[in-house]
Amino acid sequence: MGQKIRFGDFVREVRINQKFVSYNDLTPQPEYDAEGREIPYVPPKVQLRRVDITRILAPYISERLIAQIKGVVPLALYLMLFQIFILRQTVLDHWVILWGLLAVIIGLMIFLEGLKLGLMPFGELIGHSLPKKSKLPVVLLIGFLLGIGVTFAEPAIGALQTVGSMVSVERAPYLYAILNHWSGTLVLMVGIGVGLATVLGTMRFLYGWSLKPIIYLTLVPTLGLTLYCMSDPELAKILGLAWDCGAVTTGPVTVPLVLSLGIGIASSAGKGNSSLSGFGIVTLASLFPIVAVMALAIFLSQHTTPDAIILAAQSLAAGQAGLVWYEATPGLEIVGGIRAIVPLVIFLFFVLVVILKEKVRDPGIVAYGLFLAVLGMIIFSLGLSYGLAKLGSQSGNLIPGAFTQLEHIKNSPLFDYRIGILVAVTFAWILGFGATLAEPALNALGLVVENLTNGAFKKSMLMIAVSVGVGCGIALGVVKIIYEIPIGALILPLYLIGAVLTFLSSEEFVNVAWDSAGVTTGPVTVPLVLAMGLGFGDAVSAVEGFGILSMASIGPIISVLVTGLWIRSRTS
Amino acid sequence: MREISVLTDVALITCVVQRGYAETIIEAARGAGAQGATVHFARGVGVRERLGILGVAVEVEKEVINIVVSSDQVDRVFEKMYLAGKLDTPGMGIMYITPVDKAATYIPPDVLDRLSGEGASRSAEPGGSS
Repeated sequence: MGQKIRFGDFVREVRINQKFVSYNDLTPQPEYDAEGREIPYVPPKVQLRRVDITRILAPYISERLIAQIKGVVPLALYLMLFQIFILRQTVLDHWVILWGLLAVIIGLMIFLEGLKLGLMPFGELIGHSLPKKSKLPVVLLIGFLLGIGVTFAEPAIGALQTVGSMVSVERAPYLYAILNHWSGTLVLMVGIGVGLATVLGTMRFLYGWSLKPIIYLTLVPTLGLTLYCMSDPELAKILGLAWDCGAVTTGPVTVPLVLSLGIGIASSAGKGNSSLSGFGIVTLASLFPIVAVMALAIFLSQHTTPDAIILAAQSLAAGQAGLVWYEATPGLEIVGGIRAIVPLVIFLFFVLVVILKEKVRDPGIVAYGLFLAVLGMIIFSLGLSYGLAKLGSQSGNLIPGAFTQLEHIKNSPLFDYRIGILVAVTFAWILGFGATLAEPALNALGLVVENLTNGAFKKSMLMIAVSVGVGCGIALGVVKIIYEIPIGALILPLYLIGAVLTFLSSEEFVNVAWDSAGVTTGPVTVPLVLAMGLGFGDAVSAVEGFGILSMASIGPIISVLVTGLWIRSRTS
Repeated sequence: MREISVLTDVALITCVVQRGYAETIIEAARGAGAQGATVHFARGVGVRERLGILGVAVEVEKEVINIVVSSDQVDRVFEKMYLAGKLDTPGMGIMYITPVDKAATYIPPDVLDRLSGEGASRSAEPGGSS
């Protein structure tokens, strides 16, 4: 008989090659100075081999890269495959577009990492300590200014300037003027809208107001101004842009920064009780800018005439022999990237140091984050102009070839008129549905909602409801451009339906539904859809191609409210 | 008198990793025979500061995995978790084994019945060592 060995010991000897090192050999001995006091131990920098560096960096980079690839590649692939197989057209400038899309992926990856490391610490710190150290009016003022700042830093906002050059000055002079000469003012007005939304949303946090009356009160001036603009044929052309601006604002910078301020205020006031308190700001931030942009257009219409704008644009075009370096391509994006981030940073820094007298933790990492944010913004803007906008406008330009005669497509119309329209609308529907379902923010919202409703509203059900809503909205937007339906004729009844449904629904569903519109419009979808709409409008000779995004905003509101009502009727 | 069954020969493996890595590690541990795991969130300090600029690649927020295993499987599970978590990379995390005196949980009645028949001989020599 051999010796009895415990199975565990046997396994250890046979399967695992463990080398034992005493930790005592690794820890430092205390050192004393001449007077016998202990010198605090300062650990030396870790010496890294090259293999260690790659091992650290590989998951860090690949994880973030894959997240962006998932957002961009399926959409781009869908557009390209549709163009090649259904429309039988080659993708023009495909190398430029591919490089552009690569720039979008890398730019977004760098930007979001920079946002997390460089801007979010500011937002959290300010949201946490500002309400404790300052009075409410100061807090609200800073919230207002923050709303303006984050709007400038929103990556999708650059899309407005990019697509602005596609608008024809003769057909829609005010639209052209706002998007080109007044583009800075436009962003500022949108920012003021977001700022006011921040203020109102924060007060809602504090006093626990219901969202319903706020929605009704916001809809009255918004729809009223829309009616006013509809009555003027020149002003009616900016309505699509105004309503689209609401969708552009609620992106990856605005939502977390504004929310962190609001939640910080609510929790320090001791009223951050309801799980609903995170909702509402997004809704307001997408409604207020609409009012602001319409106000800008009305102001413009009273100070200048369409003829003056056309004249100015023509004389400018004639004198445009050589561009200054900051108006040509790489320079423009670099200046734009710096202009988007730096003012926001200076403002946040000012609040932190002068008003709160706090120190920035880990200044090295924050500086690195800010550098990344600017760099990412620059690369993303390059990709925006050369990848997303180009691809979107090209697809938009070609799709009408399915049902109508186009000069640039041989044998067009490719299909019978009715089938062709069906192809175009189906294309738009799938685009909206797929892009929304893939949006990571929607997944997060779905989880929140499932918890909030104790499982009555399933995550998958919300995701499908929102995606169907966006799909139908985008399809409707395309129909609007094909038949040149005035946008007001669609917006007014749809929002009235939304208001009626809001009246019928319970508070939770109202919060979720109105916010679901904001989460679906990310920095990839917005430029793509905007450019597609403009290209589409150009091909069918519509006056302007805006309005698709606004349809994509009201779509999910209605679909989620209806689903909520259906769930309630089923469970009760 | 109510009787409760108390487990002996138990060890606790604790593994601290960057947030998001726990799932693969638990998967590996379960594959090696671990019954379950508890995860909680924490914040870590140390190696990130020592890595210099590369420290940005290390997540400050950590996941702490607690796995209770039998003393026979502890080394095997430990090794699988180490490899799955790639803990031989700087900044990845740390793991350790703690001896546990006793543990108690739900044990299926049929398992208890079976053990009371054959396992009597084993509990006669605690630890089972030679």
